[in-house]
Amino acid sequence: MRRGLMAWDENELPRAALEERLASLRAQMRQQGLDAFVAYTNIARGAAVCWLSGFTPYWNEGLYFVPMEGEPIFATALSKRVAEWIGSVMPQGAVTTTPRPPALIAEHIARSGAKKIGVLELDGFPAGHAKVILEGAPGVELIDATDAFALARGGSDTSERALLVVADMLAGQGLSTIRPGQTSEARALIAPCDSAARLGGAEECFTTLAADLAQSAGFLRTDTVSALGETYAVRVSLAYKGVWTRRTRSFANDAATQAAFDTADAALASFAAPDGVPLDKALAAHFASLGTLANWTAEQPRGSYPLAPVANETGAAEGLSLDAPFVLSVELSLKGKRWIGARLIGA
Amino acid sequence: MNTQAHKARTAALSEAMKREGADVLLLFGNNWHADHLRYATDFGIQEGQGIALVRADGATTLVLDDPAEAERARAETRTCEVVFAPQLVKEAKSQLARAGNRAIAAAPYHLLPYGLLHGEKDLRVNDGASIVERLLMTKLEVEMDAVRRAAKLADEGYAVFRDAARPGRKDYELVAEIETFFRARGVAENFMIIGVGGAEVRGMAPPGGKVLKPGDMVTTELTPCVDGYYAQICRTLVVGEASEAQRQAFNVYLEAMVAGIDTVKAGVTAAAVAKAENDVFRKYDLGQYTTSEYTRVRGHGMGLFPDQKPQILEDVQIPLEAGMTIIVHPNTYHPVVGYLVLGDSLIVRENGCEILCGTPRELFSVQ
Repeated sequence: MRRGLMAWDENELPRAALEERLASLRAQMRQQGLDAFVAYTNIARGAAVCWLSGFTPYWNEGLYFVPMEGEPIFATALSKRVAEWIGSVMPQGAVTTTPRPPALIAEHIARSGAKKIGVLELDGFPAGHAKVILEGAPGVELIDATDAFALARGGSDTSERALLVVADMLAGQGLSTIRPGQTSEARALIAPCDSAARLGGAEECFTTLAADLAQSAGFLRTDTVSALGETYAVRVSLAYKGVWTRRTRSFANDAATQAAFDTADAALASFAAPDGVPLDKALAAHFASLGTLANWTAEQPRGSYPLAPVANETGAAEGLSLDAPFVLSVELSLKGKRWIGARLIGA
Repeated sequence: MNTQAHKARTAALSEAMKREGADVLLLFGNNWHADHLRYATDFGIQEGQGIALVRADGATTLVLDDPAEAERARAETRTCEVVFAPQLVKEAKSQLARAGNRAIAAAPYHLLPYGLLHGEKDLRVNDGASIVERLLMTKLEVEMDAVRRAAKLADEGYAVFRDAARPGRKDYELVAEIETFFRARGVAENFMIIGVGGAEVRGMAPPGGKVLKPGDMVTTELTPCVDGYYAQICRTLVVGEASEAQRQAFNVYLEAMVAGIDTVKAGVTAAAVAKAENDVFRKYDLGQYTTSEYTRVRGHGMGLFPDQKPQILEDVQIPLEAGMTIIVHPNTYHPVVGYLVLGDSLIVRENGCEILCGTPRELFSVQ
């Protein structure tokens, strides 16, 4: 669940920015002949509704209904006692708490006369909710509106970029507390990252550890992490006011390897989104002098997912927009030593 | 790497599938509802979504739509095949199609992806609640042990919370201290909400940046997770000395919690426990504060989900069974002092219960 700071600050996320986002969505709805739009949200799939409303449910689930005109409606199964609180941290949309959010949305749809309802990620929409909407608003048609939402969202606006900068800074602060060799206890590396992030106002922080890079590049949580090896990497995935980023740094107990890792960190920090050159070629050129580029992944928000792979070295992931910030994760082999780094690019 | 409880759960699940005549059980989950997925795979999903396909012979495939999560699952769970599939629904349908026209059950049914149930004429998926729900509610001995360990950490966590609470601190700084403590102790997940203030506070929520000041009541429920199992503690503290009104109010909640706990034993309904708690409020003319206007539940089950059935409410007729792990908490709004919480986790036994929380049942005072 989200248990860090959840607060709305108009200086960080102005109403005007949210109104522009809503207008952008409605323009796409009009273009695609939709009468209304519905998006599902929970803590794992909160990105789309947060982009529209500024709010992610800390627990439970909700539906965000956007009619062609008038105020959007957020229907959630959270208890009615928290409705006022949600209203104070959700600047766009009217909050209604109800044990049956889809039934309430169906009532609104029926009342509005809307027939063509765009649904974000229809394939992944809860089937039980779809059933209630279809029964409660007879004659409506549910149409996948994933593309319409993606077109509306486009790149990142100024507010989102500014929030990302803060998120990136908080992720970096936790990692900067780690001193190689200071502890042999794996969990002792994870805990301070959570501390720095949450004291700085992060809404959520997932810290994971690849405890022995000589053995594996897999990142584990504090409950399953194994003993630290000579080289290891810490990955901080962090949300601040609904926007997500990641940072990863690698560490070595011996000074020479750590120096090589620091050089790789600096190289990653100096990487900028390429202009006119494919990302894979730009990455290969940028890291060529350091070692072998083993793999890489770029992540951006996609639909309801706060971060999703949009490009990688295999070409299997697609959808990267170089005009918007992205999280770049890179694995290098530095004279046989595995190094992993990740950070936000382009904010 | 898999937990002790997982082996026992796998056997119980196979038995339940056999009893209900299911050839394949599909379980869906994410970081909110991770319980069904965890039951079958032992994997605690953090990002993205997942589907587990459990066959009658116990062979299990875990499909995840996040590549890093798939990598973590391969390292953490050794008993199932892990598949990364960015198109989760498409992959699950493909796997089900390969299984042929067999008896497929799925849970939690209402949250299943729409695409899974539509567009395939030959794919018939039935609600698998009858297979899974009782298993989630009534724990095996090895599961109870995990809940006990979680409750012990809840106690330790509350001691950290009390030490962290002092005038001038922000609510989210208290949460940061708790989370840091839990991460250092191997707790990856925790359900936690907080309330700070007086009569204006009507419930708990995530922290919003409130600064603690003398006279404030600070309410919280901590719910750490150990090996996938949650246990909860609810306590209230006062910044400075408690007022007479705060002490009097607390005594009502203490009496109500004890009344509820004293009612617990196998065969008693959830409704009876709620009634015992609420009767105390009614005795003090506070009955209206036991309604949904002011409170959600008077306790609830806990396990792989921090807030599972049975809900302790006067209209819930589910009989308690030995082995259920629940919390009894008469948390609600008090018209004079504001929202107040008090609750202990316990295991239902044939003739009573085993209390899991050891933190004193006090209205704490911090300076």
